[in-house]
Amino acid sequence: MSLNFLSPVYLFGLLGLAVPVLIHLLTRRQQKKIRFSAVHLLLQSQKRSVRRSAPNRLLLLLVRCLAVALLSLALASPIFSLSGDDDLLGAGPRAVAFVLDDSYSMSWQAGEGTVFQRAVETLLGEVAALPGGSAYSIVLASSPARVLLDWTGDKAQAEKLLKSAGASHRATRIDEALAKAVGLLEAAPLKKRRLHLLSDMDQNGWTGEQFPEAMDRIPARVKLIDFSGLRTGGNRAAVSAVEVSQEFLTHSRVVRVKARVVNLADNEPISRLPIQLWTGKKKQAEGFIDLAPGGEAEKTFSFPLEGSEPIDGRVTLQADSLTADNARFFTFQPDQNIRVLVVDGDPKTVAHQSETFYLETALNPFSVSLSNIDPTVSTLSELADRNLFDYSVILLCNVREFPVGYELELEKFVMQGGALFISLGDQVAPKYYNERLGNLLPVTLDALQQTGGGDEPFHLNLAGNAHPVLAIFTKKEIGEMEDIRFHSLYTVSPREGAAMETAMRFKNGFPAVIESSLGRGKVILYPTSIDRDWNGFPIQPTFLPWVQRWIKYSARSLESLLRQDLLVGAPFQWSEDSSWVQTPGGRLHPLSPENDGFTFQETHAPGVYRLYRVTEEKEAQALAAQAAKRPVLQLPAAARPRGAFTVNVDLRESAPGKIDPEDLKERFPGFSFEWTSPEDSERGAQAQGFPLATPLLLLMAGFLLFEGWMVRRE
Amino acid sequence: MQEKTQSPYSPEVLSRIASLKIRALNLVEGLLSGQHRSRHKGSSVEFAEYKDYTPGDEIRHIDWKVVGKTDKYHVKQFEQSTNLKATILLDASGSMGYVSPEPGGRPSKMDYARTLAASLSCLLLKQFDAVGLTVFNDRVVNHIPPRSKASHLQHILHGLAAIEPAGVTRLGDVIGGLVERLPSRGLLILVSDLFSAHDEDLEKHLKLLCSRGLEVILFHLLDPDEITLPFDGDILFESLEDDPPVGVDPEDIREEYQKLLMRQIETWKRDMPGLGVDYVFLETTTPLEQGLSYYLLKRNSLIK
Repeated sequence: MSLNFLSPVYLFGLLGLAVPVLIHLLTRRQQKKIRFSAVHLLLQSQKRSVRRSAPNRLLLLLVRCLAVALLSLALASPIFSLSGDDDLLGAGPRAVAFVLDDSYSMSWQAGEGTVFQRAVETLLGEVAALPGGSAYSIVLASSPARVLLDWTGDKAQAEKLLKSAGASHRATRIDEALAKAVGLLEAAPLKKRRLHLLSDMDQNGWTGEQFPEAMDRIPARVKLIDFSGLRTGGNRAAVSAVEVSQEFLTHSRVVRVKARVVNLADNEPISRLPIQLWTGKKKQAEGFIDLAPGGEAEKTFSFPLEGSEPIDGRVTLQADSLTADNARFFTFQPDQNIRVLVVDGDPKTVAHQSETFYLETALNPFSVSLSNIDPTVSTLSELADRNLFDYSVILLCNVREFPVGYELELEKFVMQGGALFISLGDQVAPKYYNERLGNLLPVTLDALQQTGGGDEPFHLNLAGNAHPVLAIFTKKEIGEMEDIRFHSLYTVSPREGAAMETAMRFKNGFPAVIESSLGRGKVILYPTSIDRDWNGFPIQPTFLPWVQRWIKYSARSLESLLRQDLLVGAPFQWSEDSSWVQTPGGRLHPLSPENDGFTFQETHAPGVYRLYRVTEEKEAQALAAQAAKRPVLQLPAAARPRGAFTVNVDLRESAPGKIDPEDLKERFPGFSFEWTSPEDSERGAQAQGFPLATPLLLLMAGFLLFEGWMVRRE
Repeated sequence: MQEKTQSPYSPEVLSRIASLKIRALNLVEGLLSGQHRSRHKGSSVEFAEYKDYTPGDEIRHIDWKVVGKTDKYHVKQFEQSTNLKATILLDASGSMGYVSPEPGGRPSKMDYARTLAASLSCLLLKQFDAVGLTVFNDRVVNHIPPRSKASHLQHILHGLAAIEPAGVTRLGDVIGGLVERLPSRGLLILVSDLFSAHDEDLEKHLKLLCSRGLEVILFHLLDPDEITLPFDGDILFESLEDDPPVGVDPEDIREEYQKLLMRQIETWKRDMPGLGVDYVFLETTTPLEQGLSYYLLKRNSLIK
């Protein structure tokens, strides 16, 4: 049972009770004492007399007081409810933990503003209406849930924090938020505790693992204020995924963007829904998409690639009432030009007889701008004139020996991040390789295996091989590669203690490609020839992509890092130190060390995040020292872009459907959730409350009539 | 109710006696203009007639000369100038002590009654009548037997001055008790406000008195306040006798009160003559001369 007042300020009108009391006192005559002789006659007269002015005056006072009190109470708009177990007058200091859902579904349109803005208004109203001496706290219920405001009695703080706030782009985490609120309530400074949850009751938010424990421990009544009724318009569709790829081995450089769109309404098809592709501020393409009820459809856009700058883009749908899920961001790093130094150990005057003829053609079939690989062929004698550090990858093809001490240059090159690709051939002296390239190669060359005559040649065994280089090949292409005949190859033995990975094998178990890391670079060993001398691979269609991908892979630009697509709020993890993330808003944040790596937690907004690395140690230290004092606005020129990753909203939040009160009762038996609408809550009334203003006014009118009758009679 | 005891010779009583005497004498001198004749025969110097001796007559009044002549015993009878025995029965209950709270120097009922009793005593003694005083409330408080000596006035005055109104009125009981003690013939002057809640048998007793040959005059004294109930406001009336206090706005009950009182007075006025009681209603604002002259006129007319 509870009694609440919508306008409690009018209760001050009860002070008006002083007026009839004053009137009574001022008009009251002092009682005198007189010693009288005929008191028995007075008694008899009193018994017979109808008039009773003294009691009448008291009755008059009572009636007037009641009329004033009733007027004051009626103006305060009392709402009476039998259902609540609140104190009858609902007053008294209390501790209220507000759980405010700020997930992106709360940014749904609600008239002029958003549902979240209405929720904030309601919360501020409730805070303002708290009785004096009360305390409150605010927990935000998006993932991850967090305490926005710890216990305070300062009502201005909530307004300060929330007045200009908007809904986040995160998904709902009611369970975690309730667990935090329960934790706060357990430490609440007052005995009378309440928990108010302001949410759109999106079904997504109620699927958590922390619920059972938290709900069992709730030490207070839970009032659920459901804002879903305020939503205007519908959330029609959402972009659920975007895939970006670059068309390969075509004459033109074209980027293909495939967007998957989902119809969020189960019962309404959508026809000709406008969909657009943007890169930066430029609209690249637009079109329409038809969607069956509750169904999905794909739309593919293509646009020509200009330059080799990374592409930041988004696919957007025509705006509906919930705009957060109408766009999905992507980033794409077009292949960069990789400068490759090809060292031909067996050059011939006839071009196609040279060791590197097929390789060079495969690396750069038409022009640099298409393959992004810029090969430079060099003979051993020219090698002294080449600066290794001008190249990303060095291919040693059938090289007999290096100039004296050159192996040390190669080691340094690899240690600093360069890639070394070694193919063998008839010029190769295993002894020299085993002795001089011990630090570079994780294996020793054993013997040359050759098949001749009627012997079955060696074949690659690629079934089940998940190496990234092979990821693009179709089953048919894999089959073709497995048919390639290899006549000669070197067998190898691993060096003791060397870390290596056999990326490809022959069917007889011999390694076909051996991959090892050294410092920050990679060493790839292909124990057969890269020309047609020992195998037929160079004239196969798959040779070109295979070689190009190995080059790109070893140069770490293939499927690199960063094609990560995170959800809002999910942490980004990275392994390199001195790395910085630039948010879509342009802010720079250093990665924080966590466990063995580094992490970035502030993925609050959807968009493209760029990653940089400051390679110079001194600059990195200076920047870290600066960051400790004030925000870093600009990275030093030496900071190298390391790529980008995207952050997008969690589409589960867009899924239609809300938690059902009956469902809630079933899931949490024994709890009485007080389910109310924002209008009722803003009026401070229970859903089942009965307004008493009119009855009180009628009663007051009755009393006034009675008072008038009494005065007239007197 | 605790009675207030006062020494009969206290200065207050003595001064009250003096003032009473002066007031009484002033009044009586102004009023009295002759004697009234007694219709009773008694011993005196003036012969009236003979009557046959009957046992019980005084032997010294037998006229022996007539016995010698007629051989019959005759007793001489003389015209008695006065042989009236008057008893003033004065109510001294608490209600008689009512003093109006209104400023104005109006005498209290008790003062008025004292003066009335003193004046009557003076008047009667001047006529050589015997006067006695009986003061009562719920019982006889003081009794002074009737005497005709002039000096008896002092006793009466003393008795009057010593009265302190207290206690409740039980007039009926008192008269019932006095019936045997009062002379069978004579005058009984009853002065009272008749405010008694316990006098159901008053009329019966008065009737008995009258039947014994007593002439009864009832002076009904009331203060104007007791008639008009002129008070205003919220008042707690405390009884001068034993009634419980009453908190009331007199305005509320004035009409009813006056009606009730007037009905009582009308009842007295109507019923008393039928019993043989001479009922005289006096307000304390009525000049006492008026009351006395009325009495004298009435007495004279009765004698004639």
